[in-house]
Amino acid sequence: MDIQNTQSQMRKGVLEFCILSIIQKGEVYPSDIVEQMKAANLHILEGTLYPLLTRLKNAGLLNYRWVESVSGPPRKYFVLTEDGNKAFDVLLKTWNEMTGAVNQLTQNTNTISTTEVNPTS
Amino acid sequence: MNKVININFQGRILPIEEQAYEILKQYIDSLRAYFANEEGRDEIINDIECRVAELCEERLKKGAICIDASGINLIIDSIGRPADFAAQDGFEQANTTSSNTSDSAYNSNDDKAWDSLPPKRLYRDEQNKVLGGVCSGIANYFNLDPLLVRVLWIFLVGVNILGYLILWIAVPSSSVKEVGGVRKRLFRDIDNKVIGGVCSGLSKYFGIQVWIIRILFLIPFIRFVINFRHVHLFQFWDSPDFPNFLDFTFSPGAIFVYIVLWLVLPEAKTSADKLEMVGEKVDLNSIKNTIQNDMEGFSKRAQTWGSEFYKKKQTTHTGNVNTSDKNTAADSSTNEQNYVPQQQNKGCLHFVGRVITVCVKVFVYFVLGIIGISVFGALFGIGVAGTSLLPLRRFVLEEGAQSGYAFGVILLFVWVPIIGIVTALIRKIAGFKKANIWVRSSFWALWILGCVMVVLFINSLGNSFSKHNTPNEQSITLSKAKLDFLELTSSPKMKYYENHWFQITPFDSYDNEDTVFVRNLRVRIVQSKTDSFEVKVVKLCNGKSVQEANRLADKINFSVSQDDSLMYLDRGIAINKNDKFRNQHIIMTIAVPIGKRIKISNNGWRQVNIRLNHNGIQSETINGINDGWYDEWNEPWDNESYSFERGVEYRMTATGLEKIKRADDELNNNDSDNPDDIEQKLQKLKEERQELEQNLEKTKAEKLQELEKIDRALDKQKEKAGKFPEERKDKKATVPTGNQLNTVTAAASKLADINWVLDRFSY
Repeated sequence: MDIQNTQSQMRKGVLEFCILSIIQKGEVYPSDIVEQMKAANLHILEGTLYPLLTRLKNAGLLNYRWVESVSGPPRKYFVLTEDGNKAFDVLLKTWNEMTGAVNQLTQNTNTISTTEVNPTS
Repeated sequence: MNKVININFQGRILPIEEQAYEILKQYIDSLRAYFANEEGRDEIINDIECRVAELCEERLKKGAICIDASGINLIIDSIGRPADFAAQDGFEQANTTSSNTSDSAYNSNDDKAWDSLPPKRLYRDEQNKVLGGVCSGIANYFNLDPLLVRVLWIFLVGVNILGYLILWIAVPSSSVKEVGGVRKRLFRDIDNKVIGGVCSGLSKYFGIQVWIIRILFLIPFIRFVINFRHVHLFQFWDSPDFPNFLDFTFSPGAIFVYIVLWLVLPEAKTSADKLEMVGEKVDLNSIKNTIQNDMEGFSKRAQTWGSEFYKKKQTTHTGNVNTSDKNTAADSSTNEQNYVPQQQNKGCLHFVGRVITVCVKVFVYFVLGIIGISVFGALFGIGVAGTSLLPLRRFVLEEGAQSGYAFGVILLFVWVPIIGIVTALIRKIAGFKKANIWVRSSFWALWILGCVMVVLFINSLGNSFSKHNTPNEQSITLSKAKLDFLELTSSPKMKYYENHWFQITPFDSYDNEDTVFVRNLRVRIVQSKTDSFEVKVVKLCNGKSVQEANRLADKINFSVSQDDSLMYLDRGIAINKNDKFRNQHIIMTIAVPIGKRIKISNNGWRQVNIRLNHNGIQSETINGINDGWYDEWNEPWDNESYSFERGVEYRMTATGLEKIKRADDELNNNDSDNPDDIEQKLQKLKEERQELEQNLEKTKAEKLQELEKIDRALDKQKEKAGKFPEERKDKKATVPTGNQLNTVTAAASKLADINWVLDRFSY
């Protein structure tokens, strides 16, 4: 079993949800999203973010508007749509269910140390 | 010291080092390739570019004077490279930049990925394609220049659509361009150029010394120049085959090839181009050697590129396998899952659509190609013919404006579009960019100038030929006009060189440099009103004005000499350079009396037109100043005119010319007759002889009877008169037999002929 792969799968799974959560809090620029993710210790590459945002926008979950900026080219300002909000609610519910389930399952396992749970650090 | 260029990036001017620009360009290209199948690809790339521009702007604001290689690399790292997206799914390792981890993670794979190229597959190169990218793909597979593959394809496979179609459909298209492979492309080497750098580029591509290629190009050029100075047709056309104007080894065609290559091949400007020209790997080590600069960013980049792509290919493969299994987080990964099956569905429809579009495309290209090829072929034919006729121009064209127009026509009207079309084609095939606007418009301008030249030329030439002289018929007196038989043959005085290959009427033989002989001679055979042969000659000519035409007509030197029954005619009209060719021609009328024979011999009269009008009966004299002359010349003559055989005797009878079938002629002309025909003829002749003998007998008998009658009458009269019986007998005897004797002798001579034939035959 490729542990790295599993890890990346886990992260991939929650990525969209995280993005939606960030945008849900308010209108943001993509660079802000990266910042917030970094602050939450989830480092994401902008090159991953842009395609994702475009996909979500094409799926109708996001909307954006152009904002002129003095320093540099105009930037996109993203916001959740109605569908986006609904999706967020659904995903939040799913997340809560899942965390509940996983916590329950890992409750009685023998853990050695928390640092070893992330072998790639 | 690095070169800095300004680029217009997302609407802003960005000063960036050249190498850094290369890095950025490659990065964007790799993004394009990575997102090739994504729906919002352009948008994504635009976003990323914006972000890059933003970050660059920040750097500049912070005090950097320009973006250097390390700076751009940092920026790119922060955004992430395609390999990172796939391999690490967009998540940086905590607290480390991706470039570092990629270094550590990939170091072990480094050498393997770089030295052993990933397993090569044959794919179609969508980015480098003309039709379907088949040849580009093959070229990539074999590390050749696509242009070479395309040319080879045409030579080996021909315009065989089927093979190409099969490959087009079967071979998958490329989604990733291989960077860093060993590619060799044909460039013009500007650094080492003499004229255009064509030879240098070729030498670099093939690995031959430059001077060898230069000599190869120069030899035909020198030979061409030497030949051209002579303007001696025979030396030029000495070779037994058709002197192929495009003979690539030793002919003026090499110039043509050089010019085309000069226009088509791109210059090797950037260092990457120069390396590609020689065929080295485009990576740091080779660049360092040639430019001698600090290129650490480059080397790192090149290595990471190579290894990243290798890794990426592996992980996407495994990644796809995993996503096809249903796994965690059902809803959140639907997007990923949906992506894969959608692509597969698209594949089926795509295939059918692709086949249809391919077929339609091929058909359209085919039709256009045929039209284009025929137009092109016509132009090329005119060009070659015109150019090869140039030596003769002095005989037709006047000096000065007219010659100038002629040159202009050939050069501008014919050769310019040929060169233009060929270069445009080759550019298209090779995938080079279109020629810049100046080149294209100058080609068009030159061609339009050529069109103008055509008009002027035709105008001027038409003028020279517009008027024609006032014709008058001159009789040629024959000594001993009351011949029985006249034979026309060519004058043995002049030496003629028969030119077997180059026969463009009217120019036929080429005596020396100053004169050309033109066989514009037509012979009319008519029935003579008297009983002697008559020969009349009319000289015709065109010219700018009537006086000019008359002057030239007088100069026509056509001699006729007679030697008993042989008449010697000049074979052609001499045209020299001062008096140009202005359609000088001669109509000779030979009037043959009834009962006499005429024969035109075989020597060199093949090209002369002999016309008979209405089997030779009509004998109107030719004296008309009006345009009736032209009609006379061009009148649709009887079909009889074409059947007038050379070397055969004809007899003029009351109803026209009749062939005399003589034994030697039959032996000569009817070699292929089978014995049956000869038997038949023999039979006929025998019958005729019998008839004639009978006739002769009859007439003889009749005559005798009449003579006897007369004798008896005379006797009676003698008895009556008694005195002068003898005189009366004599008188009456001579008068009646006079006419009868004629018919008898005619019959006798015919009988003699037949006897002679039969004697010949009976062996």
